[in-house]
Amino acid sequence: MPSIPLHTRASPQSVSENPLPSLLHTPSGLALVELQGTIHFPPPAVSATSSTTIVGKLVFPLYNPDLADPSDTKWMKRVYFYIGENQRMTGECKRLGSPIAVIRKRDVGDGDTSGDVDMESGQGKEAGEELEIVEIVRYKVVFSLRPEPVSDIAAVDKDEG
Amino acid sequence: MATQQDEGGVPFAIVHDLQHLRLLELPPDLVELLDAPKPPRLSIKSLPASAASGTPTTKPAYAVLCTPSASFQLRQVQTSNNLFVTRPTLEAHGNAIPVPTTCAIASCSATLELQPSDGSALAFLGDVLPLYDIVDGEVDVAGNGKSKASIFPDIPLSDGQCEHAWQGMMAFEFAGSSWRPSPNTLSQVWKSINAAALAEGVKLDSQFLTDDVANAVAEEGYPVTLAVAILQHLAGDGQDEDGPWSCLDRTKTVSFVGRYLLEARPGRSDYLTAEFLDTWKDCLPEAWRKDAELKAIAGVYHLPTSTTIGLKASSTMATKNESSSSKSAASSRKWHEKFGRARQR
Repeated sequence: MPSIPLHTRASPQSVSENPLPSLLHTPSGLALVELQGTIHFPPPAVSATSSTTIVGKLVFPLYNPDLADPSDTKWMKRVYFYIGENQRMTGECKRLGSPIAVIRKRDVGDGDTSGDVDMESGQGKEAGEELEIVEIVRYKVVFSLRPEPVSDIAAVDKDEG
Repeated sequence: MATQQDEGGVPFAIVHDLQHLRLLELPPDLVELLDAPKPPRLSIKSLPASAASGTPTTKPAYAVLCTPSASFQLRQVQTSNNLFVTRPTLEAHGNAIPVPTTCAIASCSATLELQPSDGSALAFLGDVLPLYDIVDGEVDVAGNGKSKASIFPDIPLSDGQCEHAWQGMMAFEFAGSSWRPSPNTLSQVWKSINAAALAEGVKLDSQFLTDDVANAVAEEGYPVTLAVAILQHLAGDGQDEDGPWSCLDRTKTVSFVGRYLLEARPGRSDYLTAEFLDTWKDCLPEAWRKDAELKAIAGVYHLPTSTTIGLKASSTMATKNESSSSKSAASSRKWHEKFGRARQR
């Protein structure tokens, strides 16, 4: 059947503490980070116990969580993304012109939980395929500039702080 | 609210097994709908492969997001940037204490854009519904074997838009198929409705039981569902469509009768205006006769000579069908051009 339900649902509350500035928080904890380029990291060892690789860190140098003034948005103008040991990208937080819905394939209980979403063709749909809007995101962190080399992250931190 | 500023930033991780998520840009109307306490049911519709393959050279890629009353065309826009969807997690790499981390769970290089699509479902319905044309008491066309409920999901517009067009063309379900009536059929069934109303003593512009009239029409061999569709089409605004009562809008009805009388006589250039007006009046309840004036069907007719009347070429059923189907083909072609342009960008 060519009509697929797109569910809206109350976002599940995120269980983990969200380390990002509160403006970027969403009920489910999902956020958007945009960057020009690709992050390469060594393939995980087969014996790796973790399913993730830490590739760097985000720094919000002008953000002070203790000054809880929501109207103060100056901190949004600068975000650093350190990648590996020697690269840094400079970016900012932006309010999205149009909010973005994050959509995924819903588990319909048929054991297929791959989460693939194919909406370009509108064809070849499996029966019972359903989609859902997991979250509506209104801000994103954008790094539109090329990475610059940095020699020592700790030293840079000191300068900025 | 704690951040990891003191320790020099928020660790950023990437999962090894990225999920497939899609990002959909929401137009303001849709944001408003979704922010409402009870968001409406949404669905994504597409043209079935068979119906869309009219032009074999273009592969149709046609998906539409529908709210109950509106529809939006989906368009994929490639971005040069990578967009990560991240989620907060607790990460403990090595033997360190777990720290709050932001973790990319999906990477998207395209977003989906929505464009309001206010096209009419008339053309689509015209394509799938066979014409119910009663000639000498018989209909010589095979049914499509489809119910209304199985047709709407195949039309790339919202159910509200489909229903509007369905009622506009007085489509009906009968004998396991869905049909659209020809002007000739509409004219015949209307005459039967009018006769039934007279026989039952029903005043059509005050409340009457729909079934009383529809059943009398059915006794003459017409589909009862078509009679009901016509009565609903001619009902005054704000009437409860599912209720057992009907009450016709007099102006709407007079114009309907005149229009379809004229349409039911295609290709006739020698229809005397006086004869037409007489037939029109005869097809109306006695009290409405004086309403049968040409201005009630303004825009539908033309007067080739001072004594004859004809249907304006642009409003005949036949040309309407042709133009509507070519229009749908043209619009789908245009859609592909748009799609192609989007790809090139």
